[in-house]
Amino acid sequence: MKKISLLIAIAFSGISFGQTEEVKEEKKGNFFGGFESNSQWYTNDKNREINHPEDPFRSNSYLNLNYSYGRWTAGIQGESYAPNALQNYNPKYDETNVATYYLNYKSNKLDVTAGYFYEQFGSGLLLRSWEDRSLGINNALRGGKITYTPTDNFMFTALYGRHRSGFDVSGGDVFGFNSDINLFKLLKIESSDLSVGFSYVGRYEETDMINPDFDELTNAYAGRFNFSKGNFYWSTEFNYKSKDGVLYDSNIVDDYTKPGTALLMNFGYSKKGFGLDATFRRLENISFYSEREPEVLAPEKTSIYFNDKLMNFVPSLTKQHHFNLANIYVYQAQSLVYLDPNNGVGKAGEIGGQIDFYYDFAKTTTLGGKYGTKIAVNFSNWNNLKGDYTLFPPDYKTDFFGFGKKYFSDFNIEVTKKLSPKLTSSFAFINQYYNNQYITGASNVTVKTNILAAEFDYNFSNGRAAKLAVEHMWADNDRKNWAALLLEYNFNTKFSMFASDMYNYGYDADANLIDHETDPFDIHFYNVGGAYKKGSTRFALNYGRQRGGLVCAGGVCRFVPPSTGLGFTITTSFN
Amino acid sequence: MKTLALFLLFVGNFMYSQQEFPAVNVKSIDGETIATSSFNEKDKLYVFSFWATWCAPCIQELEAISEVYEDWKTQLNVEIIAVATDDSRTQKRVKPLINGKGWSYTILLDSNQDLKRKLSIANIPYLVVVKNNQIVFVQNGHTPGAEEELLAKLKSL
Repeated sequence: MKKISLLIAIAFSGISFGQTEEVKEEKKGNFFGGFESNSQWYTNDKNREINHPEDPFRSNSYLNLNYSYGRWTAGIQGESYAPNALQNYNPKYDETNVATYYLNYKSNKLDVTAGYFYEQFGSGLLLRSWEDRSLGINNALRGGKITYTPTDNFMFTALYGRHRSGFDVSGGDVFGFNSDINLFKLLKIESSDLSVGFSYVGRYEETDMINPDFDELTNAYAGRFNFSKGNFYWSTEFNYKSKDGVLYDSNIVDDYTKPGTALLMNFGYSKKGFGLDATFRRLENISFYSEREPEVLAPEKTSIYFNDKLMNFVPSLTKQHHFNLANIYVYQAQSLVYLDPNNGVGKAGEIGGQIDFYYDFAKTTTLGGKYGTKIAVNFSNWNNLKGDYTLFPPDYKTDFFGFGKKYFSDFNIEVTKKLSPKLTSSFAFINQYYNNQYITGASNVTVKTNILAAEFDYNFSNGRAAKLAVEHMWADNDRKNWAALLLEYNFNTKFSMFASDMYNYGYDADANLIDHETDPFDIHFYNVGGAYKKGSTRFALNYGRQRGGLVCAGGVCRFVPPSTGLGFTITTSFN
Repeated sequence: MKTLALFLLFVGNFMYSQQEFPAVNVKSIDGETIATSSFNEKDKLYVFSFWATWCAPCIQELEAISEVYEDWKTQLNVEIIAVATDDSRTQKRVKPLINGKGWSYTILLDSNQDLKRKLSIANIPYLVVVKNNQIVFVQNGHTPGAEEELLAKLKSL
């Protein structure tokens, strides 16, 4: 084996004659890691009728330490939720302890991990384990994983594990196998490119049911391909999950069992200055957890609510807006079967898609002007699956290509234009349709919105810069209209400050629109803060009222949960 | 308190030692497996820029560098690698976006964020400059107009 690699090395050095010298691999020990702490001092807020929790100061902290020596790496992550986790995090994050650890061996071809690991097969519709601290998701698998990459064109992975849940692991066993093959590269076909992949995921969980109508081992399979030729590309994947118990009022009931499917197709064409991309997806009963029945973690809140014990990743395929008001009515992908005899809602998945279009008007053309103009158009539309839904006893039968009740749509257009060497502007129009009864079930309203937004960035010099964003949303229902303003100022490349406000008006103060998780009317959602960064370290401080969503300040974006109070964040990495 | 002191000692230790760039397999935009260790030309500066299609400041930064990239290459032996941290929600947007913008960067897909996690990156945009397989400079966040400062820094490395 060594001789062959030596031969290949010699051959390559011949081919790459004239290329620059490569860095020699040295064997030495290496420490790396990071630290992140997010804390919040919750305050009472009379206007919002919010009383701070019993322990107003809360923090989530993560310390990650790794040591590598040659081909070996070992690591440990400690987490601290002290004195308690930030509000609305999984109640199982309740202590200071070791959360994950691993030992890894990696050579050019072999990658072996024992302990906790992260993995994704294909687009993750059957298996994804990942960490997202802002969402409180860490479903690392505890077990073992082997990845074998004989050449750049083959990759095989086999794994076994149990999902992390809080500081423990879930009761279900997860088995997986995945292969990715670059077929055309292998066959030396050069005018186009085709890669294929196959996955198997098994989830084994014992059941107490006598004579269940499903196997204790649920088998799931996926096949996919990616094709591209020149500027054109096309990919498709199909996922199948074998017959398993379906949840009805958070429980598995006799004889109510179904298989699940997911079909995802994507096409596109792009070249300099022009891009077109279209996605179609159909999901049916593809929610997948490492335990069949959810665990009750808080009054009326189960592990599903806290994104715990997730097997797969089902993202909503809509545009991820950076404007605040466009993140009030946000679509959530519908993978779960839900039949509710109380309000007549029956849904088994979703069907729909989205289209993106990008175009650049070149400099010095009529629409391009002196500095060019960029335009981006996006449209997404999602519906329930058409079919017969029987609410009691629970059952459903769907049509494969039928569109049922509309959940959501979003049409948006964004134009970016540089007005001078120092000033850049962007304008957006967003039109949304949001059927809350079917999407979240939190209320029975359907809202149609129109949003106009404008953003201006001005660069002084030496890192001094200012940003102004103005937004307005007209809504025909629910809490009606919103206005928003954001000001940001960078004093230099290290220090920045921001101030923002969001205000809701024009509503009928309807008590039905307020539950314990939403705000009363006539509230200014103001926020002020600053950030200081140096190297890999960043400190940020903010005071105000958070509605929750994607917030960008000082050039950084993250999701924040709703709250009132003083927040402090530190992030650093040791390298 | 003792733990904290110990921790700070640790941090101090790490912060002032040079670090090796982690060896991770990522994907090229055509699905090929690429080892991070393959960016290994002697004395060349590799600038890994972590971004995502939904991250406005990231795109602002890459757009700004794109305008001066050719000029940088005449002054330095530098390569910019734009590492897309998009998960499968937005990953299909990467190709049309980079083609549409006409960026000439090397593009890597870090779809389950293995490389981002190894570098303990909490927020993007985030730049890691690697020379001779050692991390020689990092920058987190983006400030409009900071490209000149970055160029000066790269020249000093």
